[in-house]
Amino acid sequence: MQDEYGSIFFHRLKWAYLLLVVLTLMSPVFYVMYISFNEYGFGAGRYAFTLDWYKTIFTDTLLLGAFRWTLLLAFITTVIVVPMGLLAAKFYKHTQHKVAIISLFLAPLFVPSDILGSALLVYFKNLNRAMESLSDWIGNEWFYGWFDLGFMTAIIGLIIYTLPYVFIIILITMARYRDQQTEAARACGATAWRAFWDVEFPQIRPGVLASCAFAVILTFNEYTRTNLLKGGFDTFTTVLISQLLNEGVSEQAYAMSSVVSFLGIAIIGIIILYTLIMSERLEREARAKAQPLMAK
Amino acid sequence: MSSDIEAESISRNKGELIESPPPTGLLIDRILGEDGLQKWVFYLPVAFVVVFFAIPLALTYVWSVFERTRFWMEPGFTLFSYINFFTSARLENFLFSMYHSAIAVVIAFAVGFPIAVFVRRRITEVAQHRVILLFILPFMVSEILRVFALRPVLQRNGLVNTVLLEVGLIDEPITVILFSPTGVIIGEVLTFLPFIVFAGFLAMEAVPKYIFEICEDLGAGSWRTFIDVILPLAAPGIFAGSVFIFVNGLGVALLPNILGGPGAVNAGLIATQAMAALDFPLAMAVSAIMMTTLLVLLFIGHKLFDLTRIMTPIS
Repeated sequence: MQDEYGSIFFHRLKWAYLLLVVLTLMSPVFYVMYISFNEYGFGAGRYAFTLDWYKTIFTDTLLLGAFRWTLLLAFITTVIVVPMGLLAAKFYKHTQHKVAIISLFLAPLFVPSDILGSALLVYFKNLNRAMESLSDWIGNEWFYGWFDLGFMTAIIGLIIYTLPYVFIIILITMARYRDQQTEAARACGATAWRAFWDVEFPQIRPGVLASCAFAVILTFNEYTRTNLLKGGFDTFTTVLISQLLNEGVSEQAYAMSSVVSFLGIAIIGIIILYTLIMSERLEREARAKAQPLMAK
Repeated sequence: MSSDIEAESISRNKGELIESPPPTGLLIDRILGEDGLQKWVFYLPVAFVVVFFAIPLALTYVWSVFERTRFWMEPGFTLFSYINFFTSARLENFLFSMYHSAIAVVIAFAVGFPIAVFVRRRITEVAQHRVILLFILPFMVSEILRVFALRPVLQRNGLVNTVLLEVGLIDEPITVILFSPTGVIIGEVLTFLPFIVFAGFLAMEAVPKYIFEICEDLGAGSWRTFIDVILPLAAPGIFAGSVFIFVNGLGVALLPNILGGPGAVNAGLIATQAMAALDFPLAMAVSAIMMTTLLVLLFIGHKLFDLTRIMTPIS
């Protein structure tokens, strides 16, 4: 295919294919948005634009309560998992057993949600029993109910789920950072923390931000693990699925899904834009610094 | 300020470049210093993953041979759960879901991998990552929402059928694309496609641009280039992506739950149903079988392609 380089037509065709695939992947989401604006709901055979369903979201206490729980889960998971991902990435950089460590951190990606969820569920129940019998043996109730299904167990499941993503994003951004800079900072007398915070962190900040966004969105979107481990409360996805599998989806749920999808896309869109602009600026600065050298 | 300097002099002893006296100073500084807690804090993520991921999964093998009681299980040794799995319709369902998952992998590869090749080959280095970021967008919308949204798209009176009827390609609605294994395969492809693009993109790191030029100079056609050059070089990444899709196709209960009909049951759904029936040993046996499948696949892949090659771009 020698002529392929010359043929702009083929090139454009491939671009069109790429965009078509992205659009196809997105099409269900757009279709739900479209339905959510229909006054008559899904499958009514006629269409009239309305924002009413969006207004009624705020009176649906079930959805709103679930929304609040989900936000809280997402926030706490992110606060824990991002520093953890940073530590994990630093650990990976300095360890001798690179293959073992990276396999360990990436392995949760390859274990399907239902399998890990049920294994964790049984694990927590057994832990509870073990600790209760330990408590009985000691003769008090210190260890009762530490791992009762609830907010904390859900958080643990979500951390295991999001850690690989956070880890890999931070690791990729760290790959560009050169360790000599830390060494230089240390040689100048900075503590390890200062060397990290003032020298390394500013350079990997886009990656950390992106991983925060990832953690929030993944937590928000997760259903299976949360559902298995959550105990009493409801999150947005569990409400949606229970509606879906039982009585049929309410029009509010369509509207709510569109809001959530839109937020997800918007957040990640902003992050992507920000990262791109930042990297562009850094590149420009680097080029500006390198220029005098190049001129010689 | 003086305490700062003091702390620094204590903490210097770790640096490879600086010779420093053994740590002195307050006990609290020594505990919190770089050879104390600060060093151990790096082990925290490892410990967390081991305690809440590796150990529970390893224990599934143990729990799977426990005896079932009415609401829970008790220690013992019985192969009842495995016999239950292998001699019932569950095995057939499991094998069928493997077959469907394999089809989904093939389709996802055929659709997604050319994109990765195209991006690596034809787009300038700076722009490559931005184009790949496009595929994160659908991924940012909940898997649930996307699968759930497929229902109105594929339904009898849904988007696909309406469009096809309007255009006149079909006379009556296609019903086989929802509540059937086909529906599950469609769902799997649409859900996991971004992963094969990412994995393929990473895998193509092993295929520098000049390789294409060499192939062209030597007169190899596109097909030969693909089969004899690109595939072997990018094999580890492709394999990792494929295993990811395959295992998730087997294990994500939601897909057959929402899109599948009576015939579509995968391992995840078997496990979930067993949990709902309070048959915990059976659920654990299914988990153990899934883990074994995964480990065997990864082992074969590692023997064939040396999976550690994937990590070269990162480290």
